[in-house]
Amino acid sequence: MLEIKNLHVKLADEDTEILKGVSLAVPKGQVHAIMGPNGSGKSTLAYVLAGREDYEVTKGDILWNGESVLEMEPDERAAKGVFLAFQYPMEIPGVATMTFLRTAVNALRKKRGLAEFTTPEFLKRVRAEAAALGVSDEMLKRPLNVGFSGGEKKRMEILQMAMLEPSLCVMDETDSGLDIDAVRIVSEGVNRLRSKDRAMLVITHYQRLLTYIVPDKVHVMAGGAIQKSGGKELALELEETGYTEFSPKTPAHA
Amino acid sequence: MTVAVTRTKAEQAYSESFEAVAQKLPGGRAVAEARKAAIGAFAGLGFPHRRIEEWKYTDLRSTLKEALPPAIADATRVSVADLEAALGGLAELDAHRVVFVNGTHRPALSSAGREKGLEIGPLAFALDRSAGDASIRPSAPGQEAMIALNTAFMTDGALVHVAKGVRLAKPLLLIFVRAGKEPRLLTTRNSLTIGSGAEATIIEAHVALPGAGAGQANALSEIAVGDDAGVVHVKCTLEGAGTSHVAGWLATLGAKARYRAFHLTAGTALVRNNLLATFRGEDAKLDISGCFLGRDAEHIDTTLVVDHAVPGCESRELFKGVLAGKARGVFQGKVIVRPDAQKTDGKQMAQVLMLSEDAEFDSKPELEIYADDVVCGHGSTAAELDRNLLFYMRARGVPLEVARRLLIESFVGEALDKVEDQRLREALSAMTVGRLSGLVA
Ligand SMILES: Nc1ncnc2c1ncn2[C@@H]1O[C@H](COP(=O)(O)OP(=O)(O)OP(=O)(O)O)[C@@H](O)[C@H]1O
Ligand SMILES: [Mg+2]
Repeated sequence: MLEIKNLHVKLADEDTEILKGVSLAVPKGQVHAIMGPNGSGKSTLAYVLAGREDYEVTKGDILWNGESVLEMEPDERAAKGVFLAFQYPMEIPGVATMTFLRTAVNALRKKRGLAEFTTPEFLKRVRAEAAALGVSDEMLKRPLNVGFSGGEKKRMEILQMAMLEPSLCVMDETDSGLDIDAVRIVSEGVNRLRSKDRAMLVITHYQRLLTYIVPDKVHVMAGGAIQKSGGKELALELEETGYTEFSPKTPAHA
Repeated sequence: MTVAVTRTKAEQAYSESFEAVAQKLPGGRAVAEARKAAIGAFAGLGFPHRRIEEWKYTDLRSTLKEALPPAIADATRVSVADLEAALGGLAELDAHRVVFVNGTHRPALSSAGREKGLEIGPLAFALDRSAGDASIRPSAPGQEAMIALNTAFMTDGALVHVAKGVRLAKPLLLIFVRAGKEPRLLTTRNSLTIGSGAEATIIEAHVALPGAGAGQANALSEIAVGDDAGVVHVKCTLEGAGTSHVAGWLATLGAKARYRAFHLTAGTALVRNNLLATFRGEDAKLDISGCFLGRDAEHIDTTLVVDHAVPGCESRELFKGVLAGKARGVFQGKVIVRPDAQKTDGKQMAQVLMLSEDAEFDSKPELEIYADDVVCGHGSTAAELDRNLLFYMRARGVPLEVARRLLIESFVGEALDKVEDQRLREALSAMTVGRLSGLVA
């Protein structure tokens, strides 16, 4: 289970507080969605889960499987099963996608006490996942994400997620930039990964995604805190009403 | 104008040491005369120092404090196994080898086979026969003092001639090994002539055996690339942690010549590679690229002048540096476009990755353009490893050291990609990657 407890976060080199007491729990086997206006702190929460050093946790805690991750480096968290699909995946010039995937997969397997994949095993897996997500062989040969279209990058994120076999999947606006068919293809990819051993946190602006990846819960984030939580129907309500209800920047349960 | 100058101890000592060893240096009368004139010139000039514009960042007067005994007719024992180990990735190449140990030719370690149209031999023989006295006095602006010192003390080097129209089947590997504990001055010179339409790959490697003493090297390479000829010319400067290596590299290109040079520099206390490439005929193309890796207090200076003296030529330079510890990198690149050199196309770039806050990079790109119909550009950058990229990679489980290594390898890879021959590129990559581990740790 993922437990975020009264999390306060500020920028590491400034006093600006971005998250002002986020509390959230996602049990294994469940998918939770976070929606909320631009600038409300959704990506910040995702980055802090993954261990980005630009942010500083001033209060509260993040537990994954009962263990605090706050003192862990990003790669240690990854070894513990944490995966973040970035809102803006980064281009890594000069590092071939295949090389990167293989390095990451085998580094994680080693840390998790599993045997590294042999080249044929690895290739078989990549090819299968790539085919399912519509990622071409040519893309796998290129440097990671370099020159990929916005949608291609998002597919590549989900390909990596599938290859790295995380147990906590955080997806930050994986649907933005995807065409209508790609949203379906990527959602199917995510749904294949749904299992009783995985927890998922899906950040999105669009109710459409949630018709494919049906969440167990929906949370509304505004002003750096969760303002409301509900079932999947909350996403539909928001589509109607927008976020005006949450505009005053007073957390609901401070 | 004559100015009374005081000479440093080292400068004086070299003049005195010349008197003592002159008799033992190779060469007939004409050569001896040239050497004498050269040491006289050096006595007048002294080591280049920071008040000379070209030497602003690399002051030899203050760094070369000690005069070392010149190695002459050296007989230090070197085994084939030692040599292979010192060569690293280059040992794999199937090449004609000419080996010099402490500046003296070693036929037993060499394996220069025969190829039609290839003449290759030690320069010392030619000096003894006093061939080409004019050729022993090359000159290049800013390099006068060090070339004079080279002329005065040179012991040996490779004399290569590739005949017109000949395509060499194998590369030439000219190996300069520093061996033995005693600190010494090694002075070597290569003189390479590539006939018109000929094709050759020449690799110069300056390496040190483990345990080799600190020392100084003064190396000079001259190459004349004939019309329509194609040359790949590589230099690896890996002289050892306590050593200073000051070198000249003078190239002239004939019409439609294609000249591709690559410099790998690492693991040497002080390096100054002074390159001058001059276009002598139209429509020639050159690419001079390289990477330099510095750690500890190493100082690596690449100073490059590309002289577009004739129209229609193309020049490309890409240098990539990685600096760790207190290392200092210097890149001075000057592109001259003479009034007649219309349709010149010149581009130059130097990029450095700073792995530590104490590292320093000084860059001085210069364009001197006297023609109007030209396309020229230059630039230089110094940056740290991108923290965002590191985070992205680590978030995928890649450990920090591995992520750093991948990014650094990809950074220098762009320069290594300039080496077109796959085998050669792989050999140089292997050497580069091997040296990088010492920087990243
Ligand atoms: N590294 C940073 N430096 C400066 N400001 C930051 C940084 N990271 C986040 N912020 C600020 O914190 C606030 C929350 O940003 P965040 O990216 O988390 O929002 P978001 O909810 O993901 O928005 P969007 O829906 O537009 O993606 C914004 O005001 C943003 O400008
Ligand atoms: Mg965001």
